[in-house]
Amino acid sequence: MFDTIIIGAGPAGLSAAQILQDDQKVLVIDEYYHAGGRLLGQLYEEEKGKWWNGLRIAKELISAVEKKSEILINTSVYDVEHDKHYTVHTTAGVFDSVNLITATGAREKSNPLPGWDLPGVMTVGAAQILTNFNRVKPGNKGVIIGINPLSMVIAMELGYADIEVAKICMPQRNIINTKSPKDAFETLLSLGSSAPSKLISAGTVLAGKAKPLHQTALKMFPASGVKALGLPISIKEQVLSINGSENVESVTIQKTDAEGRPIPNSTYKIDCDFVCISDGLAPLSEIGSLLNLKHVYSEALGGYVPLHSRTMRTELPNLYVAGNVTGIENAKVAMLQGRAAAFNILGYRGGLSDTLRHIDDERKNAKVKFHKDLLSGRENLENIWQEHKNTVHS
Amino acid sequence: MTERIIKHKILEDLELNTVPFTWNNTVMYGNEGESITAALLANDIRTLREHEKDSQPRGMYCNIGHCSECRVIVNGKKNQRACLTPLLKDMAIEQQMEVPYVVKEGSPYV
Repeated sequence: MFDTIIIGAGPAGLSAAQILQDDQKVLVIDEYYHAGGRLLGQLYEEEKGKWWNGLRIAKELISAVEKKSEILINTSVYDVEHDKHYTVHTTAGVFDSVNLITATGAREKSNPLPGWDLPGVMTVGAAQILTNFNRVKPGNKGVIIGINPLSMVIAMELGYADIEVAKICMPQRNIINTKSPKDAFETLLSLGSSAPSKLISAGTVLAGKAKPLHQTALKMFPASGVKALGLPISIKEQVLSINGSENVESVTIQKTDAEGRPIPNSTYKIDCDFVCISDGLAPLSEIGSLLNLKHVYSEALGGYVPLHSRTMRTELPNLYVAGNVTGIENAKVAMLQGRAAAFNILGYRGGLSDTLRHIDDERKNAKVKFHKDLLSGRENLENIWQEHKNTVHS
Repeated sequence: MTERIIKHKILEDLELNTVPFTWNNTVMYGNEGESITAALLANDIRTLREHEKDSQPRGMYCNIGHCSECRVIVNGKKNQRACLTPLLKDMAIEQQMEVPYVVKEGSPYV
């Protein structure tokens, strides 16, 4: 019997283990063959000369945790039961614990388009792991479909490894892919100080003050995109299909106006040997579903999240959540959430309130915001939690 | 051609511990402990599977074990996710193929 089992050895899970292990017997389970979760591929410049090297951070966390806790990699969890304690069924056997932390992270959303099942088409996250962790090029020349914070950051990471990104643009608009050039433009604006061009940075300042200028900036966005931070970003071009017989050989692109309406006779092809599809991230909450937890849909948090408090509690006793399963945010927030869950389990109120304050600070100062309405999304969720708690107790 | 990233502008150099393995009985070389997906891609193999229904080529998609597009046969064991399986010396890896449709008349796909 373990005091606490943690599902997911990413930034949240490992950070929780690091706190708990001084007082508890802890087991961390992960399906991948290396602990660290999505930290393994992360690499970006936070400030001039100051790098967030996720692989190094993962290695530091792992070495701190593996001495005192048990880390079980290559192991999939396929069922969890709750009775007097938690029973976790895995491909490496059945384990019991008093407390359970779900830190399962997120998956990448991807919307289909013709040719997306060809070998050489992958998520941006797949290309990131290949490049920065596996250290094998996903290809020599790629096209990225989808404009969002994740695709922009990973496009830059491909550049650090001298992999050519020929174009970052939109998927064809249809019943599933509903994002318009305006949405993509707002994404670029929301990157704020790290926005990828002076045009857009200027737009950020102006857009906040006067809407008409924002519209003008959108209309003035060059038809073939801008070259910014070395990235060929094009919000007025959309991919109609990915082409090839055995592998990716090219993509067919069509130009659009500022509203996303196709411009006649504007299609052309770009030759490439890989394509990344990116439509953002969604929390992976299967464990919460297995335990029949109430889930809340929140656009700002990336999808369905298990109902939880800001202190990482859920409806069930001794069941906690941490990291991207609670909503899409950066790895720093995930690490802090893991610590918060651990302090909560240990009943260490001082540590918990300090950590919650750090989370608030990190959310306000985050360089890359995954969703513009994150803060209000968090607030709504906390309100639903409070309401739920009052209903249960009344 | 796909290449390994040995030297990187920011990250440390890649350390290689090359081991042999077989892909459909052909000997290839990979970096011990890397994913089967990475080892095959470094050998320019992108088609990891033929679709069970219509034999269309399929490759790695999500690289985190979620999509199951990269299923291969490892040492005789079917349906192993290549992106989650670390490469070991002398591993025998094979491609999964179209599943034969044995009923003689009618279409299974209506």
